[in-house]
Amino acid sequence: MWTAFLVIAVVIAVQGAFQTRASIAATFAAQSRIVRAQLALEEMRRLQIDEENAVRGFSLTHDPFYYTQYLGFVARFDGKLVEVRRALHAEGLVAGAGLLSDYAALQGSWRGKIAEPLLAHPGRDVTSIDKENKVFTDVEDRAVQSLRDMLAARSASLTRSTQEQVNRTAYARAFFVLLFGLLAILFNGFRGRLNRELEEERTTTEILQRAFRSETVPLPNCEVGSAYLAASSHLAVGGDVFDLYRLSDTLALLLIADVSGKGIDAAVLTAFIKFTIRGIALRRRDPGAILQEFNTAFSQTVENPYLFVSMFVGVLDTETLQLRYASAGHDSAFIRRSTNVQQLMVTGPVLGVMEEPFGSKVVFLEDGETVVLATDGLTEARNRQGRLLGEEGAKALIAASSAQPQLLADELLAQVRALGGNEMRDDLAVLAVRVHEAGSSDAS
Amino acid sequence: MLRKAVASILMLAAFAYMQPALAHAPGAKGAPPHGGCKVQVGDRVALYGTSDDPDVFIWDSRFRMRDYEGGSFDQMRALLPHATLAPAGTRATVEACVDNFVQSKYLSTPDDAVGVVVTSGPLRGKRGWVVGDAIRVIWSHH
Repeated sequence: MWTAFLVIAVVIAVQGAFQTRASIAATFAAQSRIVRAQLALEEMRRLQIDEENAVRGFSLTHDPFYYTQYLGFVARFDGKLVEVRRALHAEGLVAGAGLLSDYAALQGSWRGKIAEPLLAHPGRDVTSIDKENKVFTDVEDRAVQSLRDMLAARSASLTRSTQEQVNRTAYARAFFVLLFGLLAILFNGFRGRLNRELEEERTTTEILQRAFRSETVPLPNCEVGSAYLAASSHLAVGGDVFDLYRLSDTLALLLIADVSGKGIDAAVLTAFIKFTIRGIALRRRDPGAILQEFNTAFSQTVENPYLFVSMFVGVLDTETLQLRYASAGHDSAFIRRSTNVQQLMVTGPVLGVMEEPFGSKVVFLEDGETVVLATDGLTEARNRQGRLLGEEGAKALIAASSAQPQLLADELLAQVRALGGNEMRDDLAVLAVRVHEAGSSDAS
Repeated sequence: MLRKAVASILMLAAFAYMQPALAHAPGAKGAPPHGGCKVQVGDRVALYGTSDDPDVFIWDSRFRMRDYEGGSFDQMRALLPHATLAPAGTRATVEACVDNFVQSKYLSTPDDAVGVVVTSGPLRGKRGWVVGDAIRVIWSHH
């Protein structure tokens, strides 16, 4: 809503600015026409006097030069007349156009009654028509003065109009600047509050995640590494959980899960997962049965129908290097063997969707092989072009990483981060357990 | 000598004839002059019009002069027999003044009617009325 309001305000301000510009441009054009008309009128007045002087010159000297000059002045006078008339019509000065016509008619009458008789009989006494000539001059003077006044008034009116437009524009701009300023302050305050709330939630979530995430525990005949990296966006801090729990002297629980959803709810749910699975695993050693029991508990405990969990549970015998596992829709589980990387198959649907038995599978590990468990932040990582890393990409990354589990976990995270241009779209947790035959030099 | 004496008597007679008329005119100023008039009786002036034609009409009646200033072209032409055209620069002496007598829609402000006697040129000795706008004082004893 804020954005829409700002956009509308900006559109109104921009449109208003363009309208004002067009309006002021039109006023300036009108003023320019008035100034041109004023100049043309003064030119007409000068040409009128020039006509009279040429007639006098011809009458006194009989020099045809003055006659030719007179004809030139007449033509130019009539040219200027058209120019002024056009400007007066353009400005809607009807009364002015009438005055101009009177002026032109008077000048025509002067030519007929004063100029032409003198030009036809240049020897005639000039003084005999001086009185009548003066009447023409006086009346034309009046007409021109009235036109001057009219054009000056119009020019003043346009100047006032321009000033008013400039004032209106200034007021409108001040209003919009004030409006934008207030909106920006409000928006900034709102966003700041939102950011603070999100930051608080993120901090809480991270604290919870740190609290619930397992510290790696030493296991006999095993090297363990783990790593976790939160998503870049604080909105995406979510429900990744992994755990390594020693069930007995020789058995260890390997857990990794990814809760749908983000934020505090998901983070709290990771604690529920971790401790519930531990509790079940202490009683039941079959991973399929653990998942099935957890699924029942999850459905009864979590009321949100949109929450579900993908989970891998493995029980590793550190003596026999047998791994029994069950996977509820969690496909980011691999075994890094000496020659290749094997993906461990999913054995059932994600948890929280349906009541269904979960099968268990058994794999035997060789000395130096590594179980690599990750959340979907690995297989669903994307490069800057948006291309998905996928299972094959994940296997290639694992194969290319160091054999030492902690290095492997750290390198995987670094690779995924680099792939997205230092941007993490989702959280990523990695748990790596490298097994050794009892008695081998690497066995702890 | 006789001709000179007759001329002097005629001038005095003409002056005596005009003085009462000027003195009884509404707003007329005799000596001593006063008030709104821009010139005063006795001022030596030059006649010079402010329009594009600086020659000045000298009128036999200030009322006709006023009609001329406010009239149409045809009305102005009809009044011409009552006017004499004095060349620009003609010298004259102020004999009377009626302030703001000439009022016309063509004038932004009313103008004075000034009674003068011409003191130079071919019209020397002629008496009549001119508009105040066409008067330039060249000497004043006040």
